[in-house]
Parts: sequence; structure tokens; C-alpha cells
Amino acid sequence: MPKNCGTLLLAFACLTCLPARAQESPFFVTYTHHMEEPGNLDLEVSSTTGVPRAGQQRYIAPYMELEYGVTARWTSELYLEGQSSADDSTVFTGWRFENRYKPLSREHWINPVLYLEYESLNEASRIQKEIEGGGPDLTSRNGLLTSEHAHELETKVILSSDYHDWNISENFIAAKNFSQSEGVEFGYSIGVSRPLATLASGNECRFCRENFVAGVEMYGGLGSTLGFGVHDTAHYIAPVISWGISDNSTLRFSPGFGLSHESNPVLIRVGYAYEFQGMGDRLARLFGRKQ
Amino acid sequence: MKRGAVVFACLASLMAFGQNPGYQQDTHWRVPEEAAARKNPLLSRPEAAAGGRKLFLKNCAECHQPDGSGMEKKHSADFHLPMVQEQSDGSLFWKLTNGNSSRGMPSFSKLPELQRWQLVLYIRTLKD
Repeated sequence: MPKNCGTLLLAFACLTCLPARAQESPFFVTYTHHMEEPGNLDLEVSSTTGVPRAGQQRYIAPYMELEYGVTARWTSELYLEGQSSADDSTVFTGWRFENRYKPLSREHWINPVLYLEYESLNEASRIQKEIEGGGPDLTSRNGLLTSEHAHELETKVILSSDYHDWNISENFIAAKNFSQSEGVEFGYSIGVSRPLATLASGNECRFCRENFVAGVEMYGGLGSTLGFGVHDTAHYIAPVISWGISDNSTLRFSPGFGLSHESNPVLIRVGYAYEFQGMGDRLARLFGRKQ
Repeated sequence: MKRGAVVFACLASLMAFGQNPGYQQDTHWRVPEEAAARKNPLLSRPEAAAGGRKLFLKNCAECHQPDGSGMEKKHSADFHLPMVQEQSDGSLFWKLTNGNSSRGMPSFSKLPELQRWQLVLYIRTLKD
């Protein structure tokens, strides 16, 4: 067996023996004020599949997300993403690095979170983790789109409330692409969710209602400083559901329905997340920090 | 006899290694009076503590250990101590809802309200 394979297997064995837990928000686009717990690493593999309108291409855009709780109020995430279009090609569309910071230490009626993201993408990106400006180009071919690089800084203001067992979240987005003169682009997303059961049963069960969270989110673009508004922008409304399939993993599903001509008629999102507890401690030990 | 004492001492020190019997509360982590006065709506349903145990193992055991004895290196509370058990249900509920970021304790407001009360109910069962 090649040495690299052995190392990889060992690393995988170490990862899978870590204790883990999943408590994922069901949303794909909308952020809540709930942060990743300090030292925990969440690994998620998701995809966005677009069902085309006439003139649009069918595509699937997979992405991988590594989310790490730096402190109880600061979470960092790295994304790697790609895209594959029917009758076209499969391309790597770039990476994103985001940070979320919760300025208030206590829970309030409305909990703000500040979000800053750097994106190094090309215009073929279609994961649509958010929609800003008019939305992605769904008609051009990958060869053309990958030649256009987007070097973008994105900010969000996340407002989120837990009212009884409902979570209500609103995100306001402003993004600036430094590679092109597009002005500052805007977008939004709002979401509401609730667990299907609020009391935990005493026994282990996987199909109990307490393991499911359901909700709905709506997101879209709001144009840019060159032309603000909802004209010629993509908008979706999407029911969401998450299922804690084990103590350490969550499956999420969301069929989104396009509300404007610039949207895909249907956007199917699927995600699987696995959470590793105490990853920070283990990495620190690996690099020699005394406990 | 002597060997037995040595083994006992070793076992005791191993058990103490991960515990936090010297836990000191963060004096800045103060619970508002109104929150401290809240009553646990599940008091009349002690059987709900079983669900609380499940939630505890899932959400709290990483820092507080499965037996709730806390960990010194994480400054996490030993739930067996009187200084924890003497706090009101409302105080414990408020603390796990808000967390204490300065000591690395996350907020568990993402859990439904009743599940947080189930955790309080379970923590009460850890009283020595």
C-alpha cells in the first residue's frame, strides 16, 4: 500500500473515532445567530441542482464546507466549490473564506451577527449560497464563464431571534467584486424554522420528530448601486427540512422554487454534515501543545 | 494491604484527573433576578429527566464529562457541587441558554426551550 494511502487511512480512522454531534440549522442560505461550538469542526458536503428554463442549462454545483468554532462567538468557514453543466463541462469554480462574529455575549430579542467573506471565484459559480445583484449567469457556457474571475468581498448583517421554539432570521448582504465594475451588489434572505418536537424522548430513536427541523426560507438579489431593486433579479422561496440521522450527522433537503424569470424554476439543495467535537484540542495536541 | 492502598490511590488520582472539584464560579456570570425566579415547567414530569440525560450526553458531556464532574482544563462546572445544585432552576436554565463566552461555554439557545428545561431536570439528578 502506498505510504500516502496509509496516512490518509490513519487520518480518516482518527477523524471517525472522534466524538461528534450534529445540530444543524435547516437553512442552506439564511444564517442564524447560532454559532459553531468552540473547538468543533463541521464538515459538510452539499449540492445545488438547477432545473432549467428554456435557454438555461441544467447543472449541479457541489461544494464542501469546513466550519470551525474558533471561540463561542466567532466561527470561520472555508468552502471549495465546483459546477457541472449538462452538454458542457465540469469545472472548479473557486473558494470562499468567511468569518462570523457575534458582538453581544448574551441572548437578546434580536441577536446581531457580523459576517465577512472573501471569495475567489469565477463566474461559473452556481452554488448560490447567497444571491446578490441579479443572480448567477445561467445561460452562458462554462468556457466563457471560467475566464471571468471574481475577486469579491462580501459582508452580511445577520439578525436572528428565537421566539419560543421558532427561529426567525434575516440576512442583508452587500458584496463588492474588485475584478469588475459592478458597483456594490445587494441581496437578502429570510428564514423561519422550528423543530417538529420540542421535548426529547428518553430513548434513542432516529425517526422521532425531535430529530427533524422544518422551515421555509426566501432569498434573492436586490440589484446594485448601479440599479437598486428587484427588477431583473433572481428570487426563490424554499421549504427546508433537516434530519439528525445520527448523533454526529445531519441530512438537509430543500426544494427551492424560482419566483422570477432570472431564477431557475426549481433549485434542489441537498446537504450532509458531520460534526467532530474537540477538534481544536486534538489538533493542538498533535502540534505539541501541553494539556 | 499496602498494594491495595497504592492501587486505590492510583485509581482515585486517575478519576480526579478529569474532574473539577475545585471549580470556582465566574463572579461576572450573573443571572438576572427575573430569570433566576423562573420555575421549571417539567417539575411535575420527572420522567422527562431521561430525555435530559440523552441531551446531556449529546451536548454537555464533552466539557462536563459524562458523569457531570467537570474538567479543570476547560473550567467547566462540576454539577455535583453544592455551589451548582444550590442555584435555582431558573438560574441554570438562563446559564445554559446564554452561555459564558469568556469561559468558552457556548449558548444552547438553539435547543428548544423544553429541552433546556429537561437538561436542568437531569442536572438535578446529579446532586450527591
